[in-house]
Amino acid sequence: MNISIKIANVTFKNPVTVASGTFGHAERYYNLEEVKRLGAIVPKTVTLHPQVGNAPVRIFETPSGMINAIGIENPGIDVFIDQKLPALKKTGVPLIISILGHNEEQFIGIMEKLNKQEGIAAIELNLSCPNLKHKVLVAQDPVATTQLVKKMKSLSKFPIIAKLSPNVTDIAEIALAAQEGGADAVSLINTFTAMAIDVKTRKSRIGNFTGGLSGPAIRPIAVCMVQKVASQVKIPVIGMGGIMTASDALEFLIAGASMVAVGTANFINPRAPIDVLEGIEAFMNENKISDIREIIGSLKQ
Amino acid sequence: MVYLKNCMDKIQNTYKILVNEKLCPQYWRMIFNAPDLAAEVKPGQFVHIRTDDQGLQPFFRRPFSVYRAQKYVEIFYDVVGPGTKLLSLKKKGDTLDVLGPLGTPFKMPPETTKQVIFIAGGIGIAPMLILSDLLKKKKYELILLYGGRNRGHVYPMQEFKDNGVKVHIATDDGSVGANGRVSVLFDKINKDPQHTFIYTCGPNPMMKAVQAFAAQHGILGQAACEEIMACGLGACLGCSIETKHGFKTVCHDGPAFDLDEVILH
Repeated sequence: MNISIKIANVTFKNPVTVASGTFGHAERYYNLEEVKRLGAIVPKTVTLHPQVGNAPVRIFETPSGMINAIGIENPGIDVFIDQKLPALKKTGVPLIISILGHNEEQFIGIMEKLNKQEGIAAIELNLSCPNLKHKVLVAQDPVATTQLVKKMKSLSKFPIIAKLSPNVTDIAEIALAAQEGGADAVSLINTFTAMAIDVKTRKSRIGNFTGGLSGPAIRPIAVCMVQKVASQVKIPVIGMGGIMTASDALEFLIAGASMVAVGTANFINPRAPIDVLEGIEAFMNENKISDIREIIGSLKQ
Repeated sequence: MVYLKNCMDKIQNTYKILVNEKLCPQYWRMIFNAPDLAAEVKPGQFVHIRTDDQGLQPFFRRPFSVYRAQKYVEIFYDVVGPGTKLLSLKKKGDTLDVLGPLGTPFKMPPETTKQVIFIAGGIGIAPMLILSDLLKKKKYELILLYGGRNRGHVYPMQEFKDNGVKVHIATDDGSVGANGRVSVLFDKINKDPQHTFIYTCGPNPMMKAVQAFAAQHGILGQAACEEIMACGLGACLGCSIETKHGFKTVCHDGPAFDLDEVILH
């Protein structure tokens, strides 16, 4: 059975990874023998400077999902390289490093530091975090998306993945803009801007006022967006949004995703990514499918 | 399915419920058969329970302080929302997906301590029994100051008494014990900071009162904190609270913090 996937020049042994921000910097998990079975690890987004994150309350449970506004709490790229990266490398799993700059200079600053590192499979540009008080996200502007991806692609020695926001009118337009900038892949979707209100106090449930909605509540919209994007771009799509089970993941693959990321499910079932991987293999066995590429984009009209 | 064991001293397993009973009009106790978990739990740690098998409604696991861990693991809970409602409907013989033990346990009192005070409000009593199980082996004077809303929030607390703990109760309406908040019982505390150590858990306004009292007399202690929680493993950074040393996660850096460290709102 072949379940390996190639993005740019990197071969991932299987299509199952984790969504940025849902696996920490993997320090809680990295000794886990089973983590080594993942296709890739995407640690929490790293910024140029340390960020303390948003004031509590940072999360709220919603029907089949959650709202979060963590605010990219992270130690900054220097500490990440010194203290987190070595342990992550030890897992032997390909690393997709998610990065975020508050402007182009910061993205360049992070890229220059990562370029000096080895053992990184790809860079994911987080163009779509909804919780940082940016008026417009890069991933909400096709021109800005093309420009930034182009700049990063020209600097980076690693393949570039653009992480897209669902908070747009036409996500395919942004995906095409990323492709035009030279992105090696696009990953989607990030969270939907969302709010929950405490009716007693008439205040937002979230310290940051708004947050991002994730979990199975958003999955049907994510599947639809992945299908739309995959049918229009030539580069691989990494699909995510509320995947809890292998069946959920297969929807994304059939819709056209080459890889899938398990996100919020990690918080409910730490074993979810492995369950998804094993379930995909079982599905292939049952249906006598020898190559994962027979599933990818196999949606019937 | 003890796959987490090798790496994190954490266990995710399915356990059988032995007892699920109401201890008083307000509070429930559940006992489940988890000898592997019971052997690992330290006072102040918690277990993260999936109250719905599919994990979709309610979506998050629910964290519960371990009330007691001897042969079995016991939790003490209040039915406050859909998760605890589901839990209360579980029957003897039903199974539960449990992840634990999680979090940083309580620190032990310093060498000079003679009197240990547990100050608990309502469901905040939950982590105190397992702590008294451990501390009764030392020669401390153990005192529990418990504040409940009314009679319905008070239960016999016989296990505490069996551990040699002197129990003092206050209720908001005076229906049991002293009339008022638990702070009306603070006169039971030895105010010599060399000799006294406080453990507290309960609503933030109560813990703030304890914090102010302790600061006034220079008494050290530990506070078990609570926040809405998703992963329970320190990965999502969702349950962060403010401390003097910046944001800290309740699930991994806590639930037990130094009493003077947490900034309570």
